[in-house]
Amino acid sequence: MKKQKPIKTISTATRIFTYICLAWALLVSLVPIVWLVMSSFKEDPLARPGFMLPESICLDGYISTFRDLHVMRYFGNSMWIAGVSVIVSMLMISMSAYVVARMEFKGKKIVSMMLYSTMFIPATALTYPVYNLVNRLNIYDTRAALIMIYACSGIAVSFIVIRNYYGNIPKELEEAARIDGCGYVQTWWRVIFPIARPGILTAAVLAFFNNWNEYYWASLVIIDRNKMTVPALLSTFTTAFRTNYNGLFSAMVVIILPPIILYCVFNKFFVEALSGGAVKG
Amino acid sequence: MKTTNTADTGAKGRQAWRRRGFIFAFLAPTVIAFTVFYLYPIITVVLTSFCKWDYTNITSPEFLGFKDMFNNYKYIFSTYPYFWEALRNSSLWAFLGVFLQIPVATLIALAFSRKMRGVKLVRNIYIIPNMISSAAMGMIFLQLYSPLYGIVNPIIQVFEEGFTENILLLKGPAFWALTGAYIFFTGTTTLLILGNIMAVPQEVREAAMLDGASGLKQDWYIVLPMIKDTLRTVSILAATGSFLIYNEVYFLTKGAAGTYSISYIIRELAITSPRTQFGRANTVAVVQILAGLVIIVLVNLLYSISFRRKHGSGEGGRK
Repeated sequence: MKKQKPIKTISTATRIFTYICLAWALLVSLVPIVWLVMSSFKEDPLARPGFMLPESICLDGYISTFRDLHVMRYFGNSMWIAGVSVIVSMLMISMSAYVVARMEFKGKKIVSMMLYSTMFIPATALTYPVYNLVNRLNIYDTRAALIMIYACSGIAVSFIVIRNYYGNIPKELEEAARIDGCGYVQTWWRVIFPIARPGILTAAVLAFFNNWNEYYWASLVIIDRNKMTVPALLSTFTTAFRTNYNGLFSAMVVIILPPIILYCVFNKFFVEALSGGAVKG
Repeated sequence: MKTTNTADTGAKGRQAWRRRGFIFAFLAPTVIAFTVFYLYPIITVVLTSFCKWDYTNITSPEFLGFKDMFNNYKYIFSTYPYFWEALRNSSLWAFLGVFLQIPVATLIALAFSRKMRGVKLVRNIYIIPNMISSAAMGMIFLQLYSPLYGIVNPIIQVFEEGFTENILLLKGPAFWALTGAYIFFTGTTTLLILGNIMAVPQEVREAAMLDGASGLKQDWYIVLPMIKDTLRTVSILAATGSFLIYNEVYFLTKGAAGTYSISYIIRELAITSPRTQFGRANTVAVVQILAGLVIIVLVNLLYSISFRRKHGSGEGGRK
């Protein structure tokens, strides 16, 4: 795979076509964000609409985002809710995926079918029963409600990723541990879990992004402003800012920044996770 | 002799019980989560879709009786004003998921698979919009479409002078504006496809090269058939996902100008509306679940038909 000749074999037509695709990809992914950032520097976006460059760089919106909007509180909420739910679901799924990947038992097919099927159950169809359940458990309008929902949703993808990772661990390791006198739980916790950590981490990063960005349930089960997650906060913006467009744009930039920074940090890891074939058909 | 024998089987029995206990304990949390979050809600949805259950009897759903069992369905199909509009929109989005989103994602994945300068950088940038929540993306597009300071109206004005309307309020354009706000962000799908393209063995490519198939020709005849399973999976995910669209509708139009979606009317019926109708919301939910199954079957059919033909012409003869 290292030094070969294929560079020469790319024909001009293919090359041009590829560049068109690349240009399109750049255009689509950059225009909205660049425009948003540019607009956030305009003192009055109404006076300089569209692609007009800002006259001078105005940072008032950013200052008020941190001072008046208490945006850090919402980051804290999101961090806590997404973090705890990911830990819970990873623990849960890495346990069951291990059993399904490595042991034979009655009903194994049903269990895996069940877990796979969650990928195709439309979450919005469950709106009312889940809302009702949250109310009956007396956790409506609490962070616990969202943690529960997030820990239970998205089972399928995590399950597939982690199960595939377990599948690549040689069986001899387990057998050796068993011969050394480890019980089942010990074998899993001491031997298998540490080896599978990269796979579990992959699933955790994917789940964390999903939960961080989730809007539907976040806007459904939490109404107290102080408990809101970042995406839910967005729906209050149109009324909160009214005609203060500079403030609106700045707040939006601040809100989309953390996932982008997180992505830049985890970028290599993330790309490998998805394109490394961790999730397959 | 005898004693050791029974002790042995006793140990084995204990061993088997231990094993069983372990399996049970390790599966239990996930199975409970599944039951609480998926199984129980689905059963409730199906059962209460045959019940009179609204703001007048919040705590006690009432079975409609065998004679009037389908009254909620009749109401949704023939009286509720937004159902057909929502079903049409959601189906169209599912269709566009398979026939627009996946082809775009695949073309870009193919472009990313070539060893050319700048590919890696563009690939990394292309994922960024997918890292931002669709709520935030909806909000960004709401600004882009603003007739006051957005960038879409100035572009339209190049072709149509004096255009000052908000395209999100125009029936027709609003649907496409909404579609444009999400459909081209295929980052994660593209990565999934790219991973499988890269897994095509070099020998296969070289063999194709000797047969004179390089570049786009090779992609079409060799690479695509080899990654058809992945394409089918991502197509199903794109279609079922697009069928569920809610956030874009909420942030951009709130259902105005003919842009209701199935998810949107479920939530409207069940939660948002002042006269909540849980039974009927769950009726729509049943339709949504069934539609999801139909979509899966259709996409599978589409793939088995279209790839069988290619298989017949002698290319990609695998499996």
